[in-house]
Amino acid sequence: MTTIDTTGGTPESAAPRRGGDGALRRYLAALRTPRGAAGAGLLGALVLLALLAPALFPGGYDEQGSGGLAGASAAHWMGTDELGRDILARTVYGLRTDLSLLLTAVPASAVIGTLMGLSGVLSRWLGAGMQRLLDVILGFPGIVLGMSVVLVIGTGWLALFASILVIGLPLFGRQARAGLQIEQEREYVLAARVLGVRRRTVMTRHVLPNIVDPIVVNAAVYMVVAIFIEAGLSIVGLGIQPPIPSLGAMLNTGARYLEVHPAYVMGPGLVLLLLTLAFTLLSNALNKAVLRK
Amino acid sequence: MNAIAQGIMTETGHDEAGPLLDVRGLRTEFVTGAGTVRAVNDVSLTVRRGQVLGVVGESGSGKSVTARSILRMVPEPGRITGGEVQFEGRDLLALSEPDMRALRGSEIAMVFQDPQSALNPVLTVGYQIAEALIVHGAGKRTARSRALDLLRQVGIPDAERRIDDYPHQFSGGMRQRVVIAIALAGSPSLLIADEPTTALDVTIQAQILRLLGRLRDELGIAVLMITHDMGVVAETCDDVVVMYGGRVVEQGPVEVVFARQEHPYTADLLKAMPRLDTGAQVRLPAIPGMPPDPAALPPGCAFHPRCRLAEDQCRTAVPGLTPQGGKGQSAACWVTGRGVPIPPLDAVPGEAGARAGTGGAPLLQVRDLRVDVGSGRRGLFGRPEPVYAVDGVSLSVAGGETLGLVGESGCGKSTLARTIVGINRPAAGEVTVGGAAAGTPGGARALRSAVQYVFQDPYASLNPRRTIRQSLDEALEMRGVPRPERAAEASALLRRVGLNDTHLDRYPHAFSGGQRQRIGIARALAVEPKVLICDEPVSALDVSIQAQIINLLESLRDELGLGYLFIAHDLSVVRHLSDRVAVMYLGKIVETGPVDTVYTTPQHPYTTALLSSSPAPETTARERDRIVLTGDLPSPKDPPSGCRFRTRCPIGPLAHPERRVCVEREPVLTETPAGQLAACHFAGEMAELAGRR
Repeated sequence: MTTIDTTGGTPESAAPRRGGDGALRRYLAALRTPRGAAGAGLLGALVLLALLAPALFPGGYDEQGSGGLAGASAAHWMGTDELGRDILARTVYGLRTDLSLLLTAVPASAVIGTLMGLSGVLSRWLGAGMQRLLDVILGFPGIVLGMSVVLVIGTGWLALFASILVIGLPLFGRQARAGLQIEQEREYVLAARVLGVRRRTVMTRHVLPNIVDPIVVNAAVYMVVAIFIEAGLSIVGLGIQPPIPSLGAMLNTGARYLEVHPAYVMGPGLVLLLLTLAFTLLSNALNKAVLRK
Repeated sequence: MNAIAQGIMTETGHDEAGPLLDVRGLRTEFVTGAGTVRAVNDVSLTVRRGQVLGVVGESGSGKSVTARSILRMVPEPGRITGGEVQFEGRDLLALSEPDMRALRGSEIAMVFQDPQSALNPVLTVGYQIAEALIVHGAGKRTARSRALDLLRQVGIPDAERRIDDYPHQFSGGMRQRVVIAIALAGSPSLLIADEPTTALDVTIQAQILRLLGRLRDELGIAVLMITHDMGVVAETCDDVVVMYGGRVVEQGPVEVVFARQEHPYTADLLKAMPRLDTGAQVRLPAIPGMPPDPAALPPGCAFHPRCRLAEDQCRTAVPGLTPQGGKGQSAACWVTGRGVPIPPLDAVPGEAGARAGTGGAPLLQVRDLRVDVGSGRRGLFGRPEPVYAVDGVSLSVAGGETLGLVGESGCGKSTLARTIVGINRPAAGEVTVGGAAAGTPGGARALRSAVQYVFQDPYASLNPRRTIRQSLDEALEMRGVPRPERAAEASALLRRVGLNDTHLDRYPHAFSGGQRQRIGIARALAVEPKVLICDEPVSALDVSIQAQIINLLESLRDELGLGYLFIAHDLSVVRHLSDRVAVMYLGKIVETGPVDTVYTTPQHPYTTALLSSSPAPETTARERDRIVLTGDLPSPKDPPSGCRFRTRCPIGPLAHPERRVCVEREPVLTETPAGQLAACHFAGEMAELAGRR
């Protein structure tokens, strides 16, 4: 960052990356705080667990055993579900489903939302129009919005992905627009314009690096919200369809057997708790690092 | 405490007035992760009854913390660790918290710097004044009538109607009056004013200072005035305390201290200030270095690294405040304490010979420029109302020449500057650079390489995420300097503005305000412009740093033959730097001409009033008749008909109702006998009224 080599490069290619470098370095510093390290470690362990699922449970998530709703045993550590499938295996595979949703839909939502927020640079009308569109999205409760998405594209992973993406757009879009409006009047942005720097370069070099912090923190917070969107839609039966497990869907079914087989909800419940904890710790650590700059 | 009792007390005469507030050996510390910051270190001061004490110092000198310590309102994690605060025979530091709370507001009141945030925006001003009264035990009905009295007392016109208005319905100056009314609600005997006029324009500042003086004379209220402005001290205070690095370095009666300083800091600071009555024959004798960081004070006398008299003892031992010099004066200096006089500063010649020839063809020309800053929003019916912040302005800047542009906030000077460089779009008129109109694509490019901008706020003009090298590289790239040559160019630029290579790879937060302003100037110079537009480049800086930046701008102009459009509200800075000056009022230039002519024989009454309102750092200036304008700048949305200045003009229809011409016909810039252009139907009438030569 401080050598001449890095300052070279065309503005188009080097500038955004360079801005990102600075931000990235602060985020990595956040991960070295106790809170950040705990969050990252926990999330890392959960991701590893999800990745290793096929190796840990070679039978897959829908191998049916003899007895349904069996208690814990050496073969099934958390017992089996109503169809005699191993709850532990299904929980881990459910985590796999959830992580695959969160780690794709939330970043996609952040990027698209930010671009919508920044669209005002191209034209005032476009920017205002985008904000009204975001207002409309904001006007619907998350579940209703998710249901309409399901109506259009049917249930499944893609519907959950789209729901999480769309519900998050106003959060990121408004954040980006607010940041843009502040940054546009900053004297260093004006100074770049007086120098004749191209608009695109001004955006990537001066505006974006200075508004990205709250967006990243919001993304970490939104991870937690997204977990609940998945669980919420699955609980009303609009999420992942059987036999594929998801944490929300398992909670939904497990709740019916709460009295006879409490371990059924405890497995996915505990994993959801850990996942939420990991993202909360991470967003806290990021937020602190960003505030301290 | 009532006015009559106060009046009797003040009649005992100014010299014999006993102490009202006596601070002895006050220490306030802030314990932070980086160590203990001694913000106030063994400070002693005395406010006499019915007198005004000025506490003057630069940022970090501890003046504000001193004031807050007196009220025991030190912000976390600060702690008062020693000393005593005697107020009318009681030690405030020993009072219980309930007693202290009862005393705040009733016996000691405070006026803050920013009237914007000192008032609650959702409550009417009447309610806020009455609240102050009710807290101290008044009934509801009496509180309201007293609130009305207070509003009248602080000079709010039409108080009956305005008492139920909200703060946003008042202008900045009026809001500060309301804040003072709230402070007066408890009939205090001491008013602590923390930079009460810093956020205000010079004509409004004069109004508020006059009000504070009147309160002292009529009610006998003593004032502890905290300020950075030596001019304000000279014009309003009876005694002065100069602070530096958390300590008092000099104190005494204002007349004595301004006549002869006993501390080199006070002496050099006064010399480093540009003056209203002399032009730029010499460079300002700037104090080198910068005010110390309160967290890392130098050992010994905190001023020794910047002091031209420093000797070994100064570097190790802290000098105590000892009586020396005139009557009542004392200073904390080892050298002058021995009776050594402060030698006069060697005058730095202004390199007048070396100055590149001014004049010639104008590089930058602005003709009849109008700028619409209206919201562009359509009303319910019809077309959007245009709001012209700049309304028909023409000016030109030649190489090596400085055109000073002065005016109050809201007069359109920054809008004008931003329109010239293309940040705002003109509604009419044209900007030409070296003959090419800036409106055309080729002209726009010519403009960018020929005209650059130096911004006001050194903390906002550099991208915090980019190193100095990156900021300069961006500008060099715009000039088309090939990448391999940029490193050498960047370090040459930094050396040119008085910094060096080691600064290149640091981020802006590692620099002080003055250094950042140097970097901002370096960035502007990177494209090798011919004209620099300096928008209040020194107004955010400490007084001792101002002189350094002014000197830098001067030598750059003379070496590179740059033309400056220098915008400022500080008339003495403009006088020092400029060859010609233009005075702007409500979007129009009302007077323009050679700087000496305009300053010595102002033809427009507004110029006269501006000059008269500017506080000068000398006590003789007190006796002059000051012209204090009434009222505020009207809104450019709805400018007055005829002459725009007529609503405040001391020689217009306000004073002479028969002068209908001011209402009916708009004056144009015409040449006056004195030589400059002025836009006034009665130009020159006030020239002899002006307090100065």
